[in-house]
Amino acid sequence: MLVFAISDKGGTGRSVTGTNIVYRHALQGNDVCYLDFDFGSPTAGAIFSVSAVARGTRENGLHHYLRGECPQPRRVDVWAESDREGLRARPPGAGRLVLLPGSEGGGELSALTDEVVGRCVQLLGRLDEEFDLCVVDVSAGRSFTAELVLAATVRMPAIPFRWLVFHRWTRQHIIAADGLVTGADGLLDVGTRFGHDPEDLRDRIRFVRTAVLEPDAAELVGLRDEQRAWLSACDSELRELAGRHGVGRTAMLGKIPLDPVLQWREQLITDEDVLASKIANAETAAAFDDLAKKIVDDSAWEGL
Amino acid sequence: MKLQPRQQLLELWEAAARASYRDRVWTWGGRDGSNSISDAEQLLCFMYPASELPGFRLDTPDETADDVLAALAVLGDSVEIPKLLLRVMGQYLRTYTADDGRPLFSGGSYFRPLDDEAKVTPEQLQLDVVDSFSMSVTLALGTLGFLKVFRQSVRRESIRREIRELEDLASKRLSAAMAGLLRSFTVNAFDPGSTAGRALLRTVNQTGAPTRRVLDDLRRELRPVRAGLRDLTIGSGSQVDLDNENLLFECGWTWGIVKDAPDIVTPLDIGPQPKGVAADTPFLYFTVNALVGIADLFSARTRVLSLLNDDQITLAQAIQRRWDLTQSYWRTIATYGRGTWPLEDIPWRTVDEKESDYYSLGVTAMVVQSLVNNRAADVDLGRVAAVLEELAVRARIIRRAVPGDPPVLMHSPGVPINLNGSDALGPHLLWVVSDFAITLLKRTIWAASIAQNTRMRERLVALADQIWRHIMLRRHTDGSAAGLWDQPGNVFTDIEVRDEEPSWYFSERVVEFLVSAATSSGEPPLRSPQLVELALQMLGEAEHLLDQELVTRPLIGGQTIQPKLRSIQASLQRARAIVSDRPATAQALINDALLGLERLSAARDSASEAI
Repeated sequence: MLVFAISDKGGTGRSVTGTNIVYRHALQGNDVCYLDFDFGSPTAGAIFSVSAVARGTRENGLHHYLRGECPQPRRVDVWAESDREGLRARPPGAGRLVLLPGSEGGGELSALTDEVVGRCVQLLGRLDEEFDLCVVDVSAGRSFTAELVLAATVRMPAIPFRWLVFHRWTRQHIIAADGLVTGADGLLDVGTRFGHDPEDLRDRIRFVRTAVLEPDAAELVGLRDEQRAWLSACDSELRELAGRHGVGRTAMLGKIPLDPVLQWREQLITDEDVLASKIANAETAAAFDDLAKKIVDDSAWEGL
Repeated sequence: MKLQPRQQLLELWEAAARASYRDRVWTWGGRDGSNSISDAEQLLCFMYPASELPGFRLDTPDETADDVLAALAVLGDSVEIPKLLLRVMGQYLRTYTADDGRPLFSGGSYFRPLDDEAKVTPEQLQLDVVDSFSMSVTLALGTLGFLKVFRQSVRRESIRREIRELEDLASKRLSAAMAGLLRSFTVNAFDPGSTAGRALLRTVNQTGAPTRRVLDDLRRELRPVRAGLRDLTIGSGSQVDLDNENLLFECGWTWGIVKDAPDIVTPLDIGPQPKGVAADTPFLYFTVNALVGIADLFSARTRVLSLLNDDQITLAQAIQRRWDLTQSYWRTIATYGRGTWPLEDIPWRTVDEKESDYYSLGVTAMVVQSLVNNRAADVDLGRVAAVLEELAVRARIIRRAVPGDPPVLMHSPGVPINLNGSDALGPHLLWVVSDFAITLLKRTIWAASIAQNTRMRERLVALADQIWRHIMLRRHTDGSAAGLWDQPGNVFTDIEVRDEEPSWYFSERVVEFLVSAATSSGEPPLRSPQLVELALQMLGEAEHLLDQELVTRPLIGGQTIQPKLRSIQASLQRARAIVSDRPATAQALINDALLGLERLSAARDSASEAI
């Protein structure tokens, strides 16, 4: 299963959510890999705390591979190479957790040629055979990278794929997330141009809300009653707006609550963070766990 | 116990979901088994709030409220719930359709034989009942409305197809229910000298006036109703000879399709129309029941969503005329004369000389309904309120029962109604009604919602709170039916029967009540013109003082006095904006502002005291 992670704007928490999902999926006993296609700023290494590739790799990055500069992109086994104590050893029962870093200072793809698409198809096909789940971080907004994977998936009809669109729970993000999917040059538009069936493609797209402040969240305890009344009115307004823009609950796969750890340092939330040091909220870990299950659960994608 | 409709409804939903969806399988039927009425009642426990109250909508998964989802968590998430409802509605509509395509409205397990030994025959179990017509009208309209909105969120073709099929089935059921209502309406004419005639005259004549005069006067009062009934064309009740002015009459619904009722001629597909056996005389209970269901046919929601097609509107209009005439007939009888109303002479006596508090309650329903339509004065409402209070006392709802108290029988097992004519197909049948308490509560809250002055409203709301406390005690406290109704043994020590299963009959009526309570608490509060006037005068003074303050004070930068005045200004602006809707709240704001202004002025006065 291929999962493409995209966001309407930068700073939505796409990378940190995507990496946490693969981490949880690995803990659930599956072999997973994470491809950092965010060529502008490949920082997935930092989130996995692999200092050697914190800002991408100098050699054999994904960028180099797609340009045909190396036969195989570099693979990083997170269980072995992470600097974080809690990630150093593979927990019993967990699957493989592999990162394919981007190239340091690689820059955006300049053009979409047939060779590039071909290499992408080869890579994804091979990885899909090897791993249960491949999450591809496709950067923010409309990009050549998004077009690249849309073009590549048309050529691999046998390989199941899904899209996750990350957005924050605000007015502008809701509208932007809808635009990214249904607007001009959006995913559906471009996908159809490359030969995808728009209805079918639409069924493969789900939204994930990040940094959501629930009206009953613990963070709101300190707020005044007036602020809470206002927040709850805003929330229902957003809900109505989201429904109108097709970003409502039916099109949503999950939501990640606002968490101080994610806010101040993008990192994986391990069970130690929740249970031992208690720096992260249990709800956040539960939300990642839930998403990691739903991402491969067909009934969660059935929809209406 | 203070009534909190939203919380109570959510609790009820949680309980109903738990009782209906056991081990992820939908279970039909409660203590009285599964039949076309009980199943409709069970479904309406969910569908009625969902279609009547915006905060309880289930048809737009994107907007379902979180507390609603939490309450219905047993049924699934926001997407699974409407899908489940779709499946269950399909089950209901298909189960109660005969092989020849005719929708079934059978009373089934609700029928009881008069003689305990006798066995109800299969033909009798299949008999259509007015209760089912009435319940089906409400359910079909709720279903159609639900589907109409839900369809907009659905893209999957298989679900869309199912929605279309259900729309056809529900629409057909609605048409058939309307035809059934038209074929069970009846007019009963009788001679003033007959037993029935004498009974009616005794009921209306509360002042001991000469019978001759009462008769003439009653004829005159009923002339418009008589003329209207004479003009009825389709359906039953149109063959009676009303031209003979000497005869008295009564009109309303019998318990099922009238014996030898003519078929309804309509282009609508409703399948073959069954033969009836019901006696050709109105029953008070079924008349009230029919009136309640029919009201949904011309509700604002039905019109706004245009749930009826043209042919159905024709039928609905024919029903509406009967509704109006029946309403007007019973109001005339119940409030006849200048002295005591016949309604106030509790218990009500029917023309077949049966007496029960239950009948008084039924007549009250029609009087309250007509007060709603006529925007009646609170004087009339006061008399109805007194009747409601007395009924609550007499039925031992707001008074304790002593051992062997006869009114307790009205709650359990209930008031038996003889289904005259049912013996054509087997033993004589009974219909047992035990919804006295909740129906009384419904009437009370309904009357409260039309009260024009605060004191009358307070009086009725206080009564409603008392009855509600009684009803809450009658909830099941344990077992699979916990949180649902009805366990009268909790309140009445005489009643030893304990049921494990819920009564959907009673629970659905509680839902109806809670919905109307929630609707009326959503309306703006009652306000008196005097209060608005007073608030406006206070506002005038406050604004004047504020103006003075702004004129006299020199503007000096850095002083904290300006924000103070600004906040006073803002509260006064807010007060002016809400003064006509919420005069008391406006006054509170004004008081606060006046106090602030007064402190400033007092401080200045003390400064000028220096010698």
